[in-house]
Amino acid sequence: MITMNKVSKHYGSFQVLADCTTQVHKGEVIVVCGPSGSGKSTLIKCVNGLEPFQSGEIVVNGVSVGDPKTNLSKLRSTVGMVFQNFELFPHMSISDNLAIAQTKVLGRSHDQAREKGFKLLDRVGLRGQADKYPGQLSGGQQQRVAIARALAMDPICMLFDEPTSALDPEMVNEVLDVMTELAQEGMTMMCVTHEMGFAKRVASRVIFMDQGRIVEDDSKEAFFEHARSERAQQFLAKILHH
Amino acid sequence: MGYNWNWGVFAEMTATGDDTYLGWMFYGFKMTVALSLSSWLIALALGAVVGVLRTVPNRWLSGFATAYVEVFRNIPLLVQLFLWYFVMPELLPESLGNAFKQTNPIMQQFLASMVCLALFTSARVAEQVRSGINSLPPGQKNAGLAMGFTLPQTYRYVMLPMAVRLIVPPLTSEFLNIFKNSAVCSTIGLLELAAQGRQLVDYTAQPYESFIAVTLAYLLINVVVMFGMRWVEERVRVPGYLGGK
Repeated sequence: MITMNKVSKHYGSFQVLADCTTQVHKGEVIVVCGPSGSGKSTLIKCVNGLEPFQSGEIVVNGVSVGDPKTNLSKLRSTVGMVFQNFELFPHMSISDNLAIAQTKVLGRSHDQAREKGFKLLDRVGLRGQADKYPGQLSGGQQQRVAIARALAMDPICMLFDEPTSALDPEMVNEVLDVMTELAQEGMTMMCVTHEMGFAKRVASRVIFMDQGRIVEDDSKEAFFEHARSERAQQFLAKILHH
Repeated sequence: MGYNWNWGVFAEMTATGDDTYLGWMFYGFKMTVALSLSSWLIALALGAVVGVLRTVPNRWLSGFATAYVEVFRNIPLLVQLFLWYFVMPELLPESLGNAFKQTNPIMQQFLASMVCLALFTSARVAEQVRSGINSLPPGQKNAGLAMGFTLPQTYRYVMLPMAVRLIVPPLTSEFLNIFKNSAVCSTIGLLELAAQGRQLVDYTAQPYESFIAVTLAYLLINVVVMFGMRWVEERVRVPGYLGGK
């Protein structure tokens, strides 16, 4: 579903991504982890073309992201994305947040879009908040709305960019629960996260990045039990204490 | 100080006999309001476009917008007014220049003043629009794009609605400025409020009454604008955000 081949990116002389190669198959849940500044977020933003890259190739569902002829908007409408800071549209009610792209991008009718939005809000447990505004919800609620908003576009896969990093600890689980459910239903997912519990529960594979390189790309069992690189071992030793 | 106060002067017929002095003042008041409002509408529209262009990734477009802002912001308003009124008609193609010169002189003054105030103010509005857009969280644009919106759609549905709300307070002061700046147009002979005030002094030798009246009229306009803009500000307030409930 997603193939990356030798993707490289640099700002001036600073190498952000170096020869990143991996694949994500349909139904797989890939967790991307690594120390901060290792290029995880940049990597998944390259998947839907939010970040340009200088060399290599990314193909999503048969469409090359780096090709200047690609209609990026169309591609992005099929790839859901959830951000660290939620990024709901603050001037719209929750139900409008879910409906706007359905109507303006997919051409669904207003009623259809609202209906679909309500169903998804129900699913993330927030049907009662449909008429509120993002600023009136807690962080965890906002992030669940953001997931519902992405799902409303019927994406073929979902990208998560540190979806729980900006949340209060007590709200992390409500978001992870939604993500876990999604993973178990067979959604193809690529998640940048430090939640190793989530990775252990649902990941098909774990990618570990350091200094712009993919250092490990292995099944979660192999990664957690005997990470090959020293860097990954150090990283695990530090974060698995908690 | 030996000054003869005479508030009755406003009710007197003017020396030319066509109106009372109050009527003259009212004429100037209407001129100021008509000039400022028409210029403001043009300035808002142009400023919004130029401000947006300053933030787009295309270098040519943003370069053009930057040049536009710098030109109209950095030349004194009075000089711009003279350029529009005295120089521009000579630079136009001859037929157009002549057509301009043959219109009603009041119309000539009004048009030159309107274009001048509109463009001068549009550069300032553009800067407000740009700063509004730039003060949005950077993730908003990505969020819009990631939903499948094109860049223009992202501006239209995601960035501009919030940016406009953020800049209502600074826009209020630009709106107030345009009324005050319109007084400059008396220098090319446009009989707006300030010019009528001076004319009254010339005809009646009652400067205090005249300028107190002019001052109060400007004050009245600006109080109305302030309340109007405050109403707008409250209406567009976003719940749970920026002082909204």
